[in-house]
Amino acid sequence: MPSPIGLLAELTHRCPLGCPYCSNPLELVRAGGELDTKTWTRVLQEAADLGVLHVHLSGGEPLVRTDLAEIVNAAHIAGLYTNLITSAVGLTPQRLSELKGAGLDHVQISIQGVEPARADAIAHFKGGMKMKREAARLVVHEGLALTINAVMHRENIADLPQIIDLAQEWGAGRLEVAHVQYHGWALANRASLMPSREDFERAASVVDEAKTRLSGDLVIDHVIPDYYAERPKACMGGWGRQVIVIAPDGRALPCHAAASLPEMIFANVRSRSLSDIWREDDAFAKFRGTEWMPKPCRGCDRAEIDWGGCRCQAFALIGNAAATDPVCTLSPDHAIISAAIAKDEAAPSAPYRFRRIGG
Amino acid sequence: MTDDAKPRLAPGVRLHADGTKLLGPERILELDEIAQAIVREFDGTKRVSEIATSLAKEFNERESIIRADVDALVKDLASKGYLKL
Ligand code: SF4
Repeated sequence: MPSPIGLLAELTHRCPLGCPYCSNPLELVRAGGELDTKTWTRVLQEAADLGVLHVHLSGGEPLVRTDLAEIVNAAHIAGLYTNLITSAVGLTPQRLSELKGAGLDHVQISIQGVEPARADAIAHFKGGMKMKREAARLVVHEGLALTINAVMHRENIADLPQIIDLAQEWGAGRLEVAHVQYHGWALANRASLMPSREDFERAASVVDEAKTRLSGDLVIDHVIPDYYAERPKACMGGWGRQVIVIAPDGRALPCHAAASLPEMIFANVRSRSLSDIWREDDAFAKFRGTEWMPKPCRGCDRAEIDWGGCRCQAFALIGNAAATDPVCTLSPDHAIISAAIAKDEAAPSAPYRFRRIGG
Repeated sequence: MTDDAKPRLAPGVRLHADGTKLLGPERILELDEIAQAIVREFDGTKRVSEIATSLAKEFNERESIIRADVDALVKDLASKGYLKL
């Protein structure tokens, strides 16, 4: 059995922003249902013992947890590389130095665009862009590593060259250009978010050019959108192979969208150890490896490369989590993707359904 | 590589506690035994020339050979963003 290398710790679903492409599920966990500091401390040590190297502290907005520095410190003591994934809203000088003192290794700040008013409108939060700029300055000033994460979609895809400039200007060592993937809230807003294929292809060449030009200065990672790819990505590096997601309420998931799969029951770290869950849990075993695969994945030469794509996407689009991911052009259900593109890439943009707790 | 370059790990990059891999944002780089020994010296205070001299002694190897290894590793790691010079 492989060892997991990453733990995605969703500390909370609470968040001051309301991005319409949020990857959180439509049904969000409320504050009262969140794991406490003590349980996180135990789980982080169990993760390190299991071979995990990186912990990604995410949400929601992890800064809304007042015990964040304690959690970072627990991860640091366990020997984990700690990555804070944040909107930067609430990242004051005091909190940042507290987090640095606790052993934080890296900060990833998301941006919604370049021009403040437009970026704030997408995030559904006034003044956010200004806070992000200031927080980025503090992170660099503290000597911490900074990644800028820019989520790309129809409304901001033409601004990519300026986004790359901004990442450099802010002193980031790494830029993640991540096109929206249509899960959770993003699927609900697909008709307003999907860029045209032409715009996507232009963005891809902007990234390629910038990668060469900025090599050694800025690392750029490009996460291409599933819908415009011919083959799916290995979702989470393969189900139950590399990553464990812990939802705010303690459920251990093989993928952050897995809570949307209706027939599955997920174990909770409140009552079971992480290694027991990783090794013995039925949910983790269910789609691990290639045994579960139907045709055309079964026997395909990419079966152990992309592991059949995303189970949650297969379920969301065709109602069957055990089917080949329909984004694969070999899938018998691929027509559903072509039809979605034909319908949505040129659809008029409707007002977004902004993410919020309580639907 | 000039003799005076003093490589240090880039912000956000650190050696895992077991010493066998470099960890960075969303990145893991496994190091072979020679690379492990060299990377341990990258603390921003030692010159590449000094690193080569001391490792040559430690491994009982010609300094020019070790120096070539150090230079190649520095170049590779810097281009991938793991090192600052
Ligand atoms: S058929 Fe399955 S394994 Fe083959 S490329 Fe498509 S999704 Fe991947």
